[in-house]
Amino acid sequence: MPRLKLYQEEFYPSPLQNTWKEFTENHAAVASLYCVLFFIILVIFGPLLAPFDPLQQHIDSLLVPPTWDSNGNILYLFGTDGLGRDMLSRIIYGCRMTFGISLLLVVLSLFIGVALGAIAGMSSGLRSSFLNHLLDSLMAIPTLLIAIIIIAILGTGLVNSMWAISLALIPQFVHQTRDLVRNKLKKEYVLAAQLDGASKSHIFFNSILPNMGEMLVVQATLAMSTAILDISALGFLNLGAQAPSPELGAMLSEGLDVAYLAPWNIALPGAAIFLMMVSINLVGDGLRSALRYRLLR
Amino acid sequence: MGKIFLRHLSLLVLTLSVLSLFSFSLAFLFPGDPLTNLTGVRAENQEAYSHLAASYHINGSLFSQYWHYLGQLFVGNWGISFSSGLPLAEEINRSLAASIELSAYALVFAFIIGLPLGFVAGLKHHKIIDYSLLSASVIGYSIPVFWLALILILIFSLQLGWFPLSGRIGLLFDIPYKSGFILLDILLSDLPNKSDAFYNALRHLVLPTLSIAIVTSTIVLRTSRRSVIEVMNSDYIQAAYARGLSSRQVLLKHGVKNALIPILPLLVMQFTTLLTNAMIVETIFSWPGIGNALIQAIYQRDFPAIRAGMLAVSVLVLTFIISMDLMIRLIDPIRRRPENATA
Repeated sequence: MPRLKLYQEEFYPSPLQNTWKEFTENHAAVASLYCVLFFIILVIFGPLLAPFDPLQQHIDSLLVPPTWDSNGNILYLFGTDGLGRDMLSRIIYGCRMTFGISLLLVVLSLFIGVALGAIAGMSSGLRSSFLNHLLDSLMAIPTLLIAIIIIAILGTGLVNSMWAISLALIPQFVHQTRDLVRNKLKKEYVLAAQLDGASKSHIFFNSILPNMGEMLVVQATLAMSTAILDISALGFLNLGAQAPSPELGAMLSEGLDVAYLAPWNIALPGAAIFLMMVSINLVGDGLRSALRYRLLR
Repeated sequence: MGKIFLRHLSLLVLTLSVLSLFSFSLAFLFPGDPLTNLTGVRAENQEAYSHLAASYHINGSLFSQYWHYLGQLFVGNWGISFSSGLPLAEEINRSLAASIELSAYALVFAFIIGLPLGFVAGLKHHKIIDYSLLSASVIGYSIPVFWLALILILIFSLQLGWFPLSGRIGLLFDIPYKSGFILLDILLSDLPNKSDAFYNALRHLVLPTLSIAIVTSTIVLRTSRRSVIEVMNSDYIQAAYARGLSSRQVLLKHGVKNALIPILPLLVMQFTTLLTNAMIVETIFSWPGIGNALIQAIYQRDFPAIRAGMLAVSVLVLTFIISMDLMIRLIDPIRRRPENATA
């Protein structure tokens, strides 16, 4: 919304307003932000929106095609699967699980990662350099491999895969936070705070943390897409969520049995994952370029 | 120069020893008795158990057990797989070769597709072609690789029947094992129907390679686009224009070389994404690679195979990444400078 200009006054937008202004210039990013909001609404209000119970089996209507097919039925908008379960309800519950759990995991690992990264960044000397180099190279191991190993230790299951993924996500946040803290420690405003006699924790919470917020959000969008991909991949490989539960990856692997007869059973859950990934990635891209260009204009 | 080399070497040794320590402790972390996890022999079978306990030094201190484990690793005695009963060192060598083959072809493909498109998008920055390539790349890297592989199977092998569904080569061919890379093995072998076998193996390769390459090439596209934009906006490019060079000369003499250097380290970091995707795609196409082997090992609770496979993959990744990092430091003067300046 353009600002009403009655008087000849100068308007200096805050950095946050600048970022938002730059972000709204990118229509695709705004559209995908609405898409993310839609998924969040699904997570919160999913049970109210779903027409059926995701586990309820309609024995008289197995493998009904989606409504737009000539053999489709308006009762089952996205058709049914091999056991007669309504696909629409399953997908709504599936988005709820996949998206909601990923969001939860990202927030959890964000907090732990930022705390560890702050400690690593604020400390110095041999111990921290040893820790940092080790962390750098351990970060190179694929998250899925780490998750597989943790699952091998804990056993398969949704909760175990959640532990595995959040443990695998933490190193990215530690790394990012540590680099940001190192960068900010060189700034003059930190020096000013130090000269005023501020303690280390005061410097971190009052001078550094407010300045990294945006970068951490960007990192969180990256982690979010990794988390969605990993949780659905583990579900697909039968290592995470197990068969009857409506997790999108597990639904895909169930649909595999009837892929030839009923391709919508793998097309639709996959499309839901795809839509989540696209919207998260576009929001992340939009934020990143908004942060990059906000000072240039 | 020597300092950089030493630093990387020590980092490599350090991380590898941490990894070996971790893989050693896995035997204790897995549910159940450590020795039973490693050998499959239960404590009730007393004679065999005490015999194995002696050979694994299980009654010694933890340190001596670890030392023994390291020694066995270097000798090549990685244990025996529960499911197949074969020595793991050989099994893992085979499946690693299969994985590396698949990922290498996918990587080459990704570069062939991604680099030129990235350069085009970067040179036409903020034009319609840039936007369309960028949106195509967002679609490409948002697509879950297992879904993409399934859709490719549905279309190209179930509907059209152009490519085979799974495996590495038709069951009619028996290729003697030499290097582990199937195409190379076929060329080295002296089968009568060599060209048929080669063609068959190629047809098996198409779909898995394509599903990995589509995802990877979008990453290559995005990195090279960003790098080209940054280089073309830099001062020395303006200076080259000012000296009267044509835009073609500027691009070929100054643009390409400088844009390629920063791409490399970013792509090294993407190696893990490539490997993860390869692991998932392998299970879908029943490709006999390390990802497939690891996941099968988890289904069958084959602990020695999980342990050795995990160690092999992470050693491969770390060695690759650290040596690439070393190489980049050596060839790229910009990244070498901080080391020289901080004396």
